[in-house]
Amino acid sequence: MAETTSNADSVDVDLRVAIDRSLRHPVMFFFLSGAVWLALSVVLGLIASAKKHAPDFLSGFSFLDAGKVDAAHMSTLTYGWGAQAAFGMLIWLMARLSRKECTASGIILVAGHIWNAAVAYGVLCIMGSGSLGPWFESSGIAGMEFPGGVWVVLLVSFIMISIWSLVQFQVRDAGHVYVSQWYLLAAMLWLPWIMATAWLFVFVFDGSPLMATGIASWFKGTVFALFFLPVALASAYYLAPKVTGRPVCSYNIALFGFWSLAVIGPWVGMQKLAGAPIPQFLPAAGAAAMVMILIPALSVGVNILRTVQGHGKVVALSPSMRFTAFGIVLFVVYGVLSFGLNNNIGLKVSQFSYAGYGMDILGLHGVFSLCAFGAIYFIVPRITRREWLSRRFIRWHFFLSLYGLASIVICAVVGGFFQGQGTEDLTQPFLTGARRAAAYGWGITLAWCFLLLANLFFCLHLLLMAARLGRRSSHPTLLDKHHVESPHGPEGEVDNYGSAIV
Amino acid sequence: MDHARDNPLKRFAAFWIAALLIASFAIACVIVRPMTHGDVNTVYDMKAEARLALVSEARATQEAALDTAALEKAITEPSDNLHKQVPTPGSKPLVAPAPAETPKGEEKPDPAE
Amino acid sequence: MTFKSFIFGLLASFGLPWLAVVVFPFSKMRTLEPVKFEEGDRKGQAYSPMRDGRVNEGSKIYGQEGCYHCHTQLIRPTYAGPDVHRDEWAGLRLSADNPDTRRETVPTDYDGEDVAHIGLSRVGPDLSNLGRRLDHYLKGRDPTPETWLYLHLYSPRTNPGYVENDQEIHSHSTCPSKSGLFRQVPAILAGGQALPLYNVKGVAVVPTDRARALVSYLASLKKDTLGAPLPKAYNLNPIAPTKE
Repeated sequence: MAETTSNADSVDVDLRVAIDRSLRHPVMFFFLSGAVWLALSVVLGLIASAKKHAPDFLSGFSFLDAGKVDAAHMSTLTYGWGAQAAFGMLIWLMARLSRKECTASGIILVAGHIWNAAVAYGVLCIMGSGSLGPWFESSGIAGMEFPGGVWVVLLVSFIMISIWSLVQFQVRDAGHVYVSQWYLLAAMLWLPWIMATAWLFVFVFDGSPLMATGIASWFKGTVFALFFLPVALASAYYLAPKVTGRPVCSYNIALFGFWSLAVIGPWVGMQKLAGAPIPQFLPAAGAAAMVMILIPALSVGVNILRTVQGHGKVVALSPSMRFTAFGIVLFVVYGVLSFGLNNNIGLKVSQFSYAGYGMDILGLHGVFSLCAFGAIYFIVPRITRREWLSRRFIRWHFFLSLYGLASIVICAVVGGFFQGQGTEDLTQPFLTGARRAAAYGWGITLAWCFLLLANLFFCLHLLLMAARLGRRSSHPTLLDKHHVESPHGPEGEVDNYGSAIV
Repeated sequence: MDHARDNPLKRFAAFWIAALLIASFAIACVIVRPMTHGDVNTVYDMKAEARLALVSEARATQEAALDTAALEKAITEPSDNLHKQVPTPGSKPLVAPAPAETPKGEEKPDPAE
Repeated sequence: MTFKSFIFGLLASFGLPWLAVVVFPFSKMRTLEPVKFEEGDRKGQAYSPMRDGRVNEGSKIYGQEGCYHCHTQLIRPTYAGPDVHRDEWAGLRLSADNPDTRRETVPTDYDGEDVAHIGLSRVGPDLSNLGRRLDHYLKGRDPTPETWLYLHLYSPRTNPGYVENDQEIHSHSTCPSKSGLFRQVPAILAGGQALPLYNVKGVAVVPTDRARALVSYLASLKKDTLGAPLPKAYNLNPIAPTKE
C-alpha cells in the first residue's frame, strides 16, 4: 500500500525507511541468489523427473545420472532457494516488527556468501561423486546428501545470519508482540537445534545404520515443519493484516495454531521408515504427527482467510496477497492430503510411491514458496524503492506456478497413491505399478515445465529490480486488468517518500 | 528508541542469551554423548564366548589325554637300549624292538615301502 | 505470553520428542542384545549372519549413486505392507531345490553399513534379496551374478533378464545407465575384466573400482533364511508350506 507522508506519522515512516535501507543489501542478496538457485533446482527437477520415464534422456553425462540429479534437485530447492528466501524474509520481517534497524548487515552478507559457497560445494559433491576425486563425495544419506563438514558450515553461517534478529526481538520497545514474531523466533531456534542434533547423531556419533537413516528422515521432516512452515506463516500473518488493513481475525486462534505446530512438528519424519526393524512407536508417532498437521493447517487457514474475508478484491489486486492467500490455501490442502496419506490405510500404499515426493514439493514449493513469493513481491519494492515493472510477468508467474503445483498434486500425490496401490496389490505384477509410475511421471515432468517458465519470469523480473530498473512511483504495481493507464499511476508522479533519503 | 530497553549492555546480554539458546540442544547432545558413544561389540563378545569355551574344552581334553609318564617311558627306553647296543663295524644291522600295542587295535595297512 | 514462558514452552515441546525420537532410540538401537537361538543345533549361539563382499564400501557407493531414490531394501512385516508375498523380494519360494526362505527384514540385516538404505520409492523392485535371486536363477548359466550386474549397470535395457523369458520386463526398465562407472580401454589391455558386450572393434568396457565395489555389495544382498535360519524370537512368519 502506498504510504503517503501526509497521513502517516513521519517519524514512523522515517524509521521504516531506515530499517529497509539498513537491510537492503543482505535481503536483496538472499532473494536474488535464492531465485537463481530456484531456477537451477527447477531445471534439475525437470531432468530428474524426465529420467524416470525416459531414462536415456541426457544419459551421456554421468553427473546428471538419475539418483544424483534427484538428490541435487531436492538439495538446491531446499538449501539453495528455500533457505535463502527464508533468511531474507526472516531478517526483514523481524527488523520491521521489532522496529529496529539492522546493525550487522555486513556480517549477514558475508554469512550469506559462505552459505552459497557451502551449498555449491555440496551440490558439486552430490553430482560429482566418483568423478571429481576424493574431495567431492556425497554422504549417500537420504535427506542429508551433503558431506558432513558442509552441515557444520551451514549451521554456523545460519547462526551468523539469524542471531541479530534474536537480539532485535529482545531489545524491542515494550508493547504488543505480533504472532509473526513468535513464529520467527521459534524458526530461528528450531533450525539450529535440528541441524546440530541431526549432524551429531548421523555423522559424528557411532550407532545403528537404521537410526542414521531414521534421524536423517526426521531432519528432513522437521526442517519443513519447524523452519520453512513457521517462516511462511510469519510472512502470511504479517501481510494479511498489513495489505487488507484489518487486524488478524483472532490472536487466540493464532497462538493455538502456533503451539499446535510446536507440539506436533518435532515428531514428524520417521513415518518414511514404517515397517523397518526399529522401535514401532517411532514411525507410528511420525505418521500420527503428519496426520495431525491438519490441526495447525486448519487453524492458520481459517484465521488468515477470515482476516481477508470480504476483501477479495484486495487479494486479487495485490501480488503479495494473491501468492500468500494461495500459499495458505495450499497449506490446508497439504494438511488434508497428509491426513489421507499417513493414516494406517494410506501409509501402506503411499510409503514407497511418488506421493512422498509430491508432498515434499507441495510443502516446499507450494506452501512455503508461494508465501515467499508473496513476501518478495512486498519487500523488494520497499528496499529498492522502485516498483515492479510488469503486471504481466507477475500474473504469468502466478498462473504458471498454480498450474505446475496443481499438476504436481494430481500426478505425484494422487498418482503416486495409485502407483503405490499397483505395486502393493499382489494380484498385479510389479510392472503394473511401474507402468502407472511412468505415466504419472510424464505429468510431473510437464508440471516442472510450467514451474520452469513461471520461475524464469520471476527471476527475470527480480533481476531487473535488482538492477534498479524498477519504476520510480508511489503507486504499487497491482494486478488490475481493467485500468488502461499505467499501473504506476498518472505519468509524471514520482515517489515522494522524503528528500532526505536517496 | 527506548534507551531503558535498548542500549549496548542490553544488546550484549541479548546476544549471549540468544547464543546460549541456539546452542542449548548442541550442548544437550554433548551431555548425552556417553549414551551414544563407546565400543559396542555384543555379537563379537557372544561369539567369542562360544569360541573360547570350545577352545578351553579342547585344551582340557588334550591335557587329560596326555599321559606324561608313558610318554617319558616311550622316549627314554628305546634311547637307553640304543645306547647299550652300540654297533661294531662289520656286524649285522640292529633290529628295533616291536612297538607297543595301540589301544585301538584296528590295524592300519602298512604304507607301501 | 512472555519471552520466558515462550522459551520454556519451546524447550519442553521440542525437548520431549528430541529425547523420545532421537536420543533414546539411538542409544537403545546401538546396544541391541543379539538374539540367541533357543533350540536346534545352534542353541545358545547368537544370530549373526555373515555377509560376503565389500559391504561397507559398496553401501557408500550405492548411496552416492542415489540408488535409494528408486529402490528399497525393506521387507515390511505384514501389518505394514505385503512385501513378503511380492515376487521373490523376501527370499526364494518353495521349490524342488530349496525350502521357502522368505522372511521380513531384521535389524542385523544392515550390519556393516554406515546407513541403512531403506529407500524412498519403488520405481524399481526391492533389492533386499537381489544377490539371492541372481545366485538362484543364474546357477549353472553363463553370466555370473557379478557379470550380470555389471551389464545391468552399464546398459539396463539391453541386459537379458535372469529369469528365463523376462527380457520384456528388463527392456522397460527405467534404471539409468551408469556408464560413468566403467571405462573404455583397448581390448588387449582389458585382461579378463572386459564385459561381454558388442562394442567398437578393439575397444573393451571394463568396470572401475567403484563399479566393482558396488557390484560386490549388490551381489551380497541376501537377506533370507537360506543357510541362516532365524531364531524363534525374530521369526514372525507363519509355518512355511511344505507342499508347493
